[in-house]
Amino acid sequence: MKRNTQTFLAVIESNKAIIYKIAKSYCSQEDNKEDLIQDIVVQLWLSFHKYDETYKLTTWIYRIALNVAISFYRKESRRDGINRGLPAEILHFQEEEAALDRQAAVEQLYGFIQELREMDRAIMLLYLEEHSQQEIAEILGLSPTNVSTKVSRIKQQLKQKFSTLKD
Amino acid sequence: MDHEAILDLWKSYDRQLAESLALNRQNAEDITRMKVQSFITAMKPTKIFTILVGALWVGLGSVVVFNIFLFSFAEASLFFLFSATIQIALTALALLIYLQQLVTLYQLDLSGPILLVQEKLAGLKNSTLWIARILLLQLPLWTVFYWNKSMLENGSLGWYLIQLVVTGSFTYLAGWLFFNIKYENRHKKWFQLIFHGKEWTPLMKAMDLLEQIADYKMDK
Repeated sequence: MKRNTQTFLAVIESNKAIIYKIAKSYCSQEDNKEDLIQDIVVQLWLSFHKYDETYKLTTWIYRIALNVAISFYRKESRRDGINRGLPAEILHFQEEEAALDRQAAVEQLYGFIQELREMDRAIMLLYLEEHSQQEIAEILGLSPTNVSTKVSRIKQQLKQKFSTLKD
Repeated sequence: MDHEAILDLWKSYDRQLAESLALNRQNAEDITRMKVQSFITAMKPTKIFTILVGALWVGLGSVVVFNIFLFSFAEASLFFLFSATIQIALTALALLIYLQQLVTLYQLDLSGPILLVQEKLAGLKNSTLWIARILLLQLPLWTVFYWNKSMLENGSLGWYLIQLVVTGSFTYLAGWLFFNIKYENRHKKWFQLIFHGKEWTPLMKAMDLLEQIADYKMDK
């Protein structure tokens, strides 16, 4: 894989949904979400030349995006340091185009994700994306057995939370 | 809603994202003009300022203290000399920990497994507690540095008593804080009283994250 701007933009284009979903799961406020998306893209770019092709590209993206999102608390003030002076909006989602009832259910799901602790949020997202336990283990650095225990615990919580929702 | 329905909902949302999520190529391209930064240029001005002030304090202090030791030891007040030496040594130690934190942060590979990277990051933030513990050890030194031989020889009983109470309590407080400012005590009221406010929020979050990581490790 060539490590130039065009390849990088193509990688971001084909994985923009991953970045968006992670940012939305870790930031409820719109301004912070935009800053987080920007931080993720900046870190992806700064690490692009070091990408080890023995790993799947999505594994690499998930690891960087989740690491940036989980440690976003470290920034004492938003739009500071490395991203100072950069334009904010990188991804734009026109939510008004979505079917309203489905959008409400999705928002409820995000609400549930945001209630989880940071590490559990990562597992929840990877579970919803239907990654295998082996892949989740590789991204998180856990054993597949440990992932299995965590996933079933989160599924139980999810079931409880959504028991009141009608199909 | 069962699990299948939830996964279906997520899939259909994913399809909707694929259709409606637009990448602002121009803004993304602006990011690709960024160069990998050197350790110095990656630092925030406040961090550079903290290091400069700390280094200046330790540097100038060391020169003064060394000069006294070498050229005027006989005439110097030993209380001042030893207080200053210990104070400078403690500040230098805190500065070294701070620098080590920054270097580790700069060298950290964010494409590593989440648990490992987060443990390192939260551990780094948590080591700020070590800086606080070391700096607080200086407390009693500020109550004795101005003593001299003549004060001790000519002091009244009242003066001795006041000095004893002040220095004793500061020594006790410094020792107590040194042994008790630790991750395990983060839920105690006195701890939260010292480390409250916006600037300490990242530290408290880091400690919470370390707790989560410990839970995950226990499950292993």
